[in-house]
Amino acid sequence: MFGKGLLTGLGITFKRMVGPNITEFYPEVKPNLPTRVRSSMGLQPDKCISCNMCAMACPNSVIKLTSEKNENNKKVLKSYHMDVGRCLFCGMCTEACPTKALSVTQEYENAVFEPEDMQWDMIKRAERKGKVG
Amino acid sequence: METLNNLFLIIAAAIRSLFADPHSVWANLTMDVINFIIVVVIIVLAALILILLERKIAGWTSQRTGPNRLGPRGWFQTIADALKLMGKEDITPAGADKFIFKVAPMIVFSLPMMTLAVIPYGNGMAPINLDLGIFYFLAISAISTVAFLMAGWGSNNKYSLLGGMRAVAQMISYEIPLLFSLLGVVMITQSFNLGTIVEAQKTIPFIILQPLAFVIYIIAGLAEVNRAPFDLVEADQEVVAGPFTEYTGLRWGLFFLGEYGNMTAVSALAATVFLGGWQGPMFLPGWVWFWLKVGIIIFFMMWVRWTFPRIRVDHLMHLAWKVLLPLSILNIFLTGFGIYIYRFVMGG
Repeated sequence: MFGKGLLTGLGITFKRMVGPNITEFYPEVKPNLPTRVRSSMGLQPDKCISCNMCAMACPNSVIKLTSEKNENNKKVLKSYHMDVGRCLFCGMCTEACPTKALSVTQEYENAVFEPEDMQWDMIKRAERKGKVG
Repeated sequence: METLNNLFLIIAAAIRSLFADPHSVWANLTMDVINFIIVVVIIVLAALILILLERKIAGWTSQRTGPNRLGPRGWFQTIADALKLMGKEDITPAGADKFIFKVAPMIVFSLPMMTLAVIPYGNGMAPINLDLGIFYFLAISAISTVAFLMAGWGSNNKYSLLGGMRAVAQMISYEIPLLFSLLGVVMITQSFNLGTIVEAQKTIPFIILQPLAFVIYIIAGLAEVNRAPFDLVEADQEVVAGPFTEYTGLRWGLFFLGEYGNMTAVSALAATVFLGGWQGPMFLPGWVWFWLKVGIIIFFMMWVRWTFPRIRVDHLMHLAWKVLLPLSILNIFLTGFGIYIYRFVMGG
């Protein structure tokens, strides 16, 4: 029949119109992210053995860490900085990490106003997260 | 119920009774001014509501919510948009034909004011009860062609001119099936008066007697008010915004008002001629029935707009001249035939 396609089209749009919306009201309602989203990095400083493997694995040399030896002649993490402006969240560092101290996390509200704010002090972030969570 | 049905007539009579002679020139003049204001208010309200409704429906068809920030569920969005438009700079292009450029939006806005003035909004509620109602309506709405061409020409912009030319080609082509589709109803009622036509639909609305004419009217009406899928005049992807390209601020707003006013007028005529106007079961007043029917047609127009892609220019002409025109002539023929058979059966 001529014009059948037009009616089918109208039917489809009407179904969409009365059906549920797929809009997510982001600032009010937090979205359900897929499990494989990689949007942030997290460090557990007490697990870190300062082996520097993460910094070596990083393709963009994002990670800079320093360490000092304690009285038992063991390496202790002193500072751990990430330049997230350059980070791809590729996860190579987490794969290289022998103690799983470093991990990719799903925090996504990482926008900052100043370029300096993209220099993350991972130890401070870990402490702050511990306080909040 | 009867009071509610005649609410506006009672108010009008009360205003008239304030004068020593209720039918003096001054009483008539006052009523005319009030009617004029009411029609303008109808257009402005229609534009405010319809622009938002359009965006809402656009959202719903694509599974979004549409505007939802300002006011309850975003229903104040158009008011903010209108205020923003008023604050915009009024730019006239350097090479424009200034007089034509400035007059065109006023004409576009004035046409729905003139056409909506003859629509009967309820029993005896036509602001002007014209015996040649349909004829007047079509004649006036045809002028908008000129206004669009003026806007396109005055802008001194090739896209605007193209859009204006398209408006002329499209609107003149679709005027004919639009006119012919209404002729069937005129043949049955033997009258051009919209009030008489509504009276004639007391038992059965003309959409049942003239289904083909109704379909032709809706298609041609969509083309007449330049709405998708017939929005070649302002096709954003092809001619930017057609005749509106160079307009800013309030002048552009006038075009928008005119456009939605025209849409309301075409829907109001469809509701009057085919859906029985203010006729309806008595649990609602007549004017509520009228606006309900207009609303249904407007909703259908928006639904169509957000469903179909834009038609090609040659297909547009093909549809008007090779499909709609023969069909509307066939409809006139069949109506005439039907009237003869009816008279023969009734022994007239």
